[in-house]
Amino acid sequence: MTTSALSTTGLTKRYGERTAVDGLDLELPTGVVAGFVGPNGAGKTTTMAMLLGLVRPTSGTAAVLGHPIDHPSAYLHDVGALIESPAFYPALTGIENLRVFATVGGHDPDRIPALLELVGLEGRGDDRYRGYSLGMKQRLGIASALLGDPKLLILDEPSNGLDPQGMREMRDLIGRLAGSGRTVLVSSHVLSELEQVCDWLVLIDTGRTLYQGPAADFLAGSDGLAVAPERPEDLLALADLLVAGGHLVEVRDDHLMAFMDGDAKRAAAAVNRAAFDAGIVLVELHAQRSSLEERYLSMVQGGAL
Amino acid sequence: MTAVIRAELQRLWRRKPMTLAALGALLFSVVATLTVFSGAPASGPVGPQGGTTLELLGRQGGGTEAFAVGASFIGFFVFVTFIALLASEFSGGTYRALLLRNPHRLQVIIGKLVGILIVAAGVVLLAEVATFIISLLAAPGQDVSTSDWFSAGSAVDAVKDFGTVFAGVAGWAIFGTTLAFVFRSAPLALGVGFAWAGPFENITVDSWTTGYRVFPGQVLRAVINGGTPELGLSRALLTGALYAGVAAAISLLLLARRDVTA
Repeated sequence: MTTSALSTTGLTKRYGERTAVDGLDLELPTGVVAGFVGPNGAGKTTTMAMLLGLVRPTSGTAAVLGHPIDHPSAYLHDVGALIESPAFYPALTGIENLRVFATVGGHDPDRIPALLELVGLEGRGDDRYRGYSLGMKQRLGIASALLGDPKLLILDEPSNGLDPQGMREMRDLIGRLAGSGRTVLVSSHVLSELEQVCDWLVLIDTGRTLYQGPAADFLAGSDGLAVAPERPEDLLALADLLVAGGHLVEVRDDHLMAFMDGDAKRAAAAVNRAAFDAGIVLVELHAQRSSLEERYLSMVQGGAL
Repeated sequence: MTAVIRAELQRLWRRKPMTLAALGALLFSVVATLTVFSGAPASGPVGPQGGTTLELLGRQGGGTEAFAVGASFIGFFVFVTFIALLASEFSGGTYRALLLRNPHRLQVIIGKLVGILIVAAGVVLLAEVATFIISLLAAPGQDVSTSDWFSAGSAVDAVKDFGTVFAGVAGWAIFGTTLAFVFRSAPLALGVGFAWAGPFENITVDSWTTGYRVFPGQVLRAVINGGTPELGLSRALLTGALYAGVAAAISLLLLARRDVTA
């Protein structure tokens, strides 16, 4: 019995001189909702395409649901995927499209109405695909990926091109899909979208792994205090005080971020007391957690964590 | 592979495409019958490009003669249709989407081709039956006797006409699919296919008659016509099968080696 939904070892894909994926080592436990994070061109889609048997790796190995990726027929019936953009027959209705793909995959077409309801397309299944909005197309793509009730769901930028309302609906949908022990790997470069639904993170850049592990661990240590003095000229003196107090400090515009490991209230009291003793009046002092985006950017721009 | 064939039939077996296909077959039947009956000389030799005479129309197999003569013009249409159908699968991403359900690329491509050819066989059969019926209506007006059209020999001729036309259609379909697979872009594949099977072959054979026996388009035209003065049916079938084998080999090679990125 395997505990990894998917794993890769030294997975590499080169297109001529260009290396799209560079020795990627991944291990994704079953049952997690994993955010696959990286900027455009980081190698997310190529990695997913290799895992789905669409693209042949230049080197390295990988396994999906315990099966090596050079035999995709052994595992694809348990994998649902939406990769690149949704692709359907424009002249067919949503239901007709799902029936065609259910037939090819040997899936039960009786699930189609329930899937349309799940993705919020109830009442629109008889409309032709060519008349669907981008959000509806994405949702039909997810319904199609769910036709086989997959153990592993791979979604490539499902929020791409959606308006804020559509992105929120997609986020809620992914949250609903995450139940029942299903493993979800969802890629995005909109990190705020992933932060709210993912309990596991895989961060890559230029085809290499930057981080993989629990999302909570990635954001641990990013708890901090936002501290701002009344007078801007006190900013540097305040920074010195915080460093002397054992904090890692970042200057952010008109305020400071003081990172800490312990209790936020206790740390805030200590900072307040030290500032008062130094004659610095604070106008801002509150606990603040760095967002996934801030954490990711600090990692990419600042090298390793 | 049967699942892919069933899915393709499911996709095509809808009111609109089926109605359009049936109307196309009927239009072909009307145009082919009227053109053949009104244009055929009373008797005499048949031209090098095929055709018939009223005398031949009154003999055994005359009921489906207009179908056989008219069918020589549908090869190019079939060619273009298959390029458009298959290339759009590659450029539109539906080929990729199908592979996510069935990763056996060969099964997907052959299944789609067979599915479309099953529908094509139905359309060809409809066209043949309709042409026979319209020929029955048109024959008296040209003093063509239909008494021999209901003989066993005529039935055999009708089956043979269907077989050669369908073999030609299948050949054009395989070439169209191969071009679609090579270029993966409908406009590019259509452009190359149109230029080759249209102007290039037809202009070249005017000055190089060997082209009638070696160019794929000319070979398939000979198959559909049941043989031409330049190329007999059995030789045409053999050459066509050889070309189809080469086309299939090219497709297989590309299938095995290419990444699916669209």
